[in-house]
Amino acid sequence: MTDRTIITVDGPASPAAPPRRVTGRALFFDGDTAQPVPVAIGYSDADQTLTFAHRGEGYRWPYADLRALRDQAGDQMVLRLRGDPTMRLLIDTEDDRALIRARAKRLGRFVSHVRRGKLAAWGLAAVASIALIIFVLVPVMADQLADYLPPEGEKALGDATFEQIRTALDDTGIAGLQTCENPTGLAALRKIETRLTDQMDLAAPLTVHVLDHPMINAFALPGGYVVFFRGLIEEAGTPEEIAAVFAHEIGHVVARDPTRIALRSAGSIGVLGLLLGDFAGGALVLFLAEQIIRADYTQEAEAAADTFAYNALLNADLPPSAIATLFERLTDDTHHEASAGILDHLASHPAMGDRIAAARAAEPSGATFRPLLTDTEWVALQAICD
Amino acid sequence: MTDQTSPTTLTTTFAGTRGPLFRKALWGSIWTILTLGFYRFWLKTRLRRWYWSAIRPGGTPLEYVGDPLEKLLGFFLAVVVLAFYIGVVNLILMFVSLSLLASNVTAYIVSFVGVIPIWFYARYRARRYTLARSRWRGVRFGLKPGAWGYAARALWHWALTILSLGVLWPRKTFYLEKYKTDRTVFGSATLHQGGRWQMLMPAYAHILISAVILAATTYQVVMGQVQVAYLYALGVPWFVYGLIHYSVEATRLLANHKTAGDIALRADPRPATLTRIYVFGYLATGLISLLPVAPILMVVGMVENQRWRATYDITLEPGLIYGLPLYVWTGLGVAAYFLVFLLWATLRHCFVTMPVWRHYAETLTIENAPALANVSQKQRDEFAEAEGFAEALDLWGAI
Repeated sequence: MTDRTIITVDGPASPAAPPRRVTGRALFFDGDTAQPVPVAIGYSDADQTLTFAHRGEGYRWPYADLRALRDQAGDQMVLRLRGDPTMRLLIDTEDDRALIRARAKRLGRFVSHVRRGKLAAWGLAAVASIALIIFVLVPVMADQLADYLPPEGEKALGDATFEQIRTALDDTGIAGLQTCENPTGLAALRKIETRLTDQMDLAAPLTVHVLDHPMINAFALPGGYVVFFRGLIEEAGTPEEIAAVFAHEIGHVVARDPTRIALRSAGSIGVLGLLLGDFAGGALVLFLAEQIIRADYTQEAEAAADTFAYNALLNADLPPSAIATLFERLTDDTHHEASAGILDHLASHPAMGDRIAAARAAEPSGATFRPLLTDTEWVALQAICD
Repeated sequence: MTDQTSPTTLTTTFAGTRGPLFRKALWGSIWTILTLGFYRFWLKTRLRRWYWSAIRPGGTPLEYVGDPLEKLLGFFLAVVVLAFYIGVVNLILMFVSLSLLASNVTAYIVSFVGVIPIWFYARYRARRYTLARSRWRGVRFGLKPGAWGYAARALWHWALTILSLGVLWPRKTFYLEKYKTDRTVFGSATLHQGGRWQMLMPAYAHILISAVILAATTYQVVMGQVQVAYLYALGVPWFVYGLIHYSVEATRLLANHKTAGDIALRADPRPATLTRIYVFGYLATGLISLLPVAPILMVVGMVENQRWRATYDITLEPGLIYGLPLYVWTGLGVAAYFLVFLLWATLRHCFVTMPVWRHYAETLTIENAPALANVSQKQRDEFAEAEGFAEALDLWGAI
């Protein structure tokens, strides 16, 4: 069946000679029936078309409109006609393939029926919808729902979030990040807590932890969690500075600020991990955990927590200016290397100067305060992770 | 000259070789990494075109006409729906779970269970898209709509399978395949899945027997009879072989009971051949993929040694030592990860996917081929979403 013939019809071939016609063989698929039809193809160079006949009908495919299917295995060539979706010509001899390649110069042109405009529109719509969901819909819903969450639910959310943060911050990948459990240190911390909360009317008791991590930070979680990092305990100059941060975080707890933030990510965190698998999922969980710790509350929420802290400190006979002295040390002390690659939330806060001034202003001039911890207790607190 | 005397039986040839496939898959994987994953729609399209064109029943190749851009579009669409699901639906689930039960575990379970029907739905839709973009002899394949029906049946049959401790697996295989086959069309011809589910049971025997051995051994080991643990050496390979044997035999039996009008399929894949391909193919892929890790481990060893020295040798500049490892570590880690990924993805095509497809293709024949003359073209299935959900849920690793 490979008996293909080249017939010179219009005289001898020479560069100046008039166009000649050669014929070859191909299998034609008419795009309607599932039956291959062997056809004789003619190369009509005069009008630059490929010609063949089927069922008494003549087909004329201009060379310029011939397209070859891409990424074909083996050495076959399958031709299609630009603008026609289904008709195909299968060229299975190398001679014919060479003849066609020499004539049809646009074989490799891309054929796509997808309109670029439509694609761009959908792409934009997708990005816009996702942004809308993540930055508007979910935060608004979380803020609304947070107010209706019962205390037990808030506690459960806090427990789960605390565990996720411990897991995310752990470098070993075996157990979660350790909490510091030195008994005398815990007793000192407990003393600060009692001094602050004695005057308060809290809905639920606080759960206070110190995490063994060098970050200079503290954060609050739903359900009365107040969590310090070892870095902050070690960086503080006086027990009053710890008390000041403590009071600020209690302010967030009372205002349920962390509940809003945690609820936003709680819905996504586990399922995303499941969907994306360990590699991407793990990185995402770490990212979300960091978001909770960094807790980008609104300016109003921060200001409210500060005001709460000034009052709580004054009620407990403690100096609000301790916030100022801590912040001043952090801003001066930019060379400390303890942050372990994570930006210190407290130190990087933009309105730091304002907050220092506000803390000083909150303290009545000439006021005297009752001491908080003995020297022994303060040493024990600073060594809480040893 | 319209008709040629057609043979009654069409055998299938496979025209692909490893060289071109290797180059295609390697370059595609490199581009996929460089474009942060977006090139995968193009890679998948190009590989499918290649695989389809290599399979030639009766000497005429299949054709894949899918477009990478429509895959990208479908992916966008699916991501929007899933973002809504993950963000909003989960938030509500979480709130209800925390409020009513003071626990978020329920929310995670409900949310995960909620994804399962979507998963089956996505599989059917992806199959519909792939078939709609496949042609042979210029005539389109297709799959009639019915993704939710498929999801419902899949859930039901999976439940039965789990409740029967796996014994009714062949029943699930048969009825899900029948659902898909009976909705598959080639032009004007509709496929039909004949046979009964019981015909798959003999093929399932290897799995059942080895599973019983494994269960009994585990029970004995748990009860303290540790000396019977050697039975694992028998049970585990047998079970793995059983899985391959069943998948091959089920495919063969199901194919032999598929008809489209007077046209029938005859498949004759051999479990032993495919087991050999899988075992040696994955072995070769795995070993070669790990090769680039060896020099990296050596470099890591040197760096480690340098750090170790630095802790004791005060004359070395600390800035140099502390500055170096972070880049080195990160760089080496990223390079190793991508190299292994690249080689694994590429070589698996050459050593596993392609040989498996070739074997299935070369053992497939079409009976009563003259009846194909009565098959005519069907309308195009537009299907804007393509296989976006399957892509977003990462259902298909290979192709």
